[in-house]
Amino acid sequence: MFAPFYAAIADISATIRRHRDRLGRPVIGVLPAYFPLELIHAAGGYPVQLWGAGVAIDHAEAYLQPYCCSVARSVLELEMRGSAGLIQAYVFTSLCDTLINLRELYRRLFDKPILGLSFPVTQFAEGRRAFLADAAEKIIKGLEAVTGRRVSADALRAAAGQFGRVRSLQRELYRLRRERPGAIKNADFHAVLKAGFFLPVDEYGRLLEDLLVRLESIAAPAGRRPRLILSGMVFDPLEAQRLFDEVGADVVDDDFASGWRTVSKATLPVDDPVEGIATHVFGGAPCCCIHHPEKDRHDYLVKKIRDAGADGVVFWYVKFCEPDAFDRPQLLARLKQEGIPATVLEMDLSMKSVESLRTRIQAFCEMIGGLEI
Amino acid sequence: MTQLGAFKKMKELMTLYYIEAKTAADKPVAWLTSGAPVEFVYAMGAVPVYPENYAAMCAASHQSVALMEAAEAAGFSQDICAYARTDFGQDLVRGGPAGGLPAPHFLVCSTNICKTVIKWYEVVARKYQVPLFVVDTPFLHDGLTPGLVDYVVAQFRQLERFLESMLKKPFDRDRLIEVIRLSRQATGLWRKILDLGRTVPVPFTSLDAFIHIAPIVTLRGTPACVDYYQLLYDEVSGLAERRVGSVSDERYRVLWDNLPIWFKMRPFEKFFGERRCALVAATYANSWGGLEDFAGIQTRDAMEALAVSYLNIYINYGFAQRIRYLARLIDEFGLTGFIMHSNRSCKPYSVGMYRLKEELSRLTGKPGVVIEADQNDPRVFGDAQVEARLDTFIESMAPAA
Repeated sequence: MFAPFYAAIADISATIRRHRDRLGRPVIGVLPAYFPLELIHAAGGYPVQLWGAGVAIDHAEAYLQPYCCSVARSVLELEMRGSAGLIQAYVFTSLCDTLINLRELYRRLFDKPILGLSFPVTQFAEGRRAFLADAAEKIIKGLEAVTGRRVSADALRAAAGQFGRVRSLQRELYRLRRERPGAIKNADFHAVLKAGFFLPVDEYGRLLEDLLVRLESIAAPAGRRPRLILSGMVFDPLEAQRLFDEVGADVVDDDFASGWRTVSKATLPVDDPVEGIATHVFGGAPCCCIHHPEKDRHDYLVKKIRDAGADGVVFWYVKFCEPDAFDRPQLLARLKQEGIPATVLEMDLSMKSVESLRTRIQAFCEMIGGLEI
Repeated sequence: MTQLGAFKKMKELMTLYYIEAKTAADKPVAWLTSGAPVEFVYAMGAVPVYPENYAAMCAASHQSVALMEAAEAAGFSQDICAYARTDFGQDLVRGGPAGGLPAPHFLVCSTNICKTVIKWYEVVARKYQVPLFVVDTPFLHDGLTPGLVDYVVAQFRQLERFLESMLKKPFDRDRLIEVIRLSRQATGLWRKILDLGRTVPVPFTSLDAFIHIAPIVTLRGTPACVDYYQLLYDEVSGLAERRVGSVSDERYRVLWDNLPIWFKMRPFEKFFGERRCALVAATYANSWGGLEDFAGIQTRDAMEALAVSYLNIYINYGFAQRIRYLARLIDEFGLTGFIMHSNRSCKPYSVGMYRLKEELSRLTGKPGVVIEADQNDPRVFGDAQVEARLDTFIESMAPAA
């Protein structure tokens, strides 16, 4: 059932090459996070999402200090070692200080077009709009220069429909996971999400539809195992996601930037592209990287845990991510107040073994209770 | 460091500032980032307090480790900015030279120094349940544009409304113009003092600048700040005229990039002095000189000039602009090399620095070195390693002509 998704991520370069050749679209690498991929597609590009990779850092060591996160380091590593040759241009957002500077570093190091969309931080709609109007025009022109095609209103509408459909199918998968704990293995679930980073929207949508049909009759296994929610920026490394299946815990929902925070975004409004981008960036689930005083992450997470009937939260901390790290102590205090158990796992995408995490997950589940030993 | 008469005055000024801040029971206290437009806050009569300045004071007086440990014990990761950790720590244990900062009534932060301040101030806002106003000064990937200036000016108008609601009185635009005038005078004097670094030998090094930077950060916009820098300028320009150098028998003249290493001020003074190496120019100290650029401020819209000055700071520049600026400093100040501090606590300054070093050396023909350290956390500082790197660098420089 999940084989096509695993196949897509088994050899990512081969997957991208095959689809690029089929579609004849230039491949555009998108750094985290929340860039509206619809714009790339409407410009005739093939967006692939770069959330980091589990590679040893060698070449990138020359330009990024060890205190930079492994998302930035591994993406740079792939370009520097020549493994990202398929990518014709890069797109950045202003998600954090590291990515803002990484965009500048790429401009100094590489000949490929380096595009960017800075997000406004102000809470005032008028200022935000004025800022995004300039930014939107610039990014669209930049994409058009890469692809040699214009972004037409029709193309944007079609792209919004396709990507909106994919996200709504992903939300359906999330619903199944929440309502039938254990029916979908955690590793399989994340393989499905990860395949979506690299497959083109048409192919991915088709596979998701097919998967959901097959999952219709699937039932949750008998018995109740510990139910968890994961919270962090990126859900990689995938091998670590497998540990939950092996330990015997059910992940019932998540709060990942590369997961629900993206999947929760509504269909891109296209009547007014500037408003559309604002809705895309600021809409959906709250994120530690998007300042939004009206969207309280604490209330949101507590409600999410209650709604999913989860027993506890695992904070999935990929090292050196300041936006993620700043929020955590107060979030932990709130969860404690609410009587919700939580634990923090520290990791690095380039870690050689995820075994050290197994013990931590196991101990946490034992503490929650309900593990079948 | 140069023994300056003004130093005593500065200590008095800063002591008075902290006493006033801590005892201003009738005035609301605002916590601000170092690059926030304090002029608006002064115009409305609130008391501005700077956690960054206080964190630096804690480190310079060797009190930051205990405070960071308190923050870490409360769950804050060592991966986050050491200023923020020092601040969270002083707040938890009421520590540091002033026995902790007064609690804020509201917060103003600006993104021109980093986006991380948003996270830091969100934590404070949640703890104290106080409003946070963010002045967004976007990163200048492609230089300054009229659109960006308009965007910041529009936020200034909102900031006025915000302050009206905090202070419960109408915004005083006339008072603002007066504060901007004072701010411009002080930053202008500061710029003139730093420009005396062109003198050989340099009378006022970057280490001196780091010591005397506190008033320009905390008091710009007040008459006391103008008076202080006039005093300092008179003294330093006298030294420059008499050709009195800060480092005896000056041989090397170098640029310092990134924040100071606050807990190493005295050891660095000794280290560089012994090697006849003067730190002459610093991008960090220069960051408070921007408003002086607008000589026509009286005729231009003051808000616009202020917006430009808060957008246009080194750490908010794209890399092409950074390299041009650094090369200009090397040329204008007659520098023999440059030191880049790869600062674990400051990603906007440090990420990409290795590349900047390569390009700057190639462009100017001057040697450079990157040292791995932290502005506030001595626990990640390796003396032997840093000194060895600096020694190799100093040996590689040709002495100043």
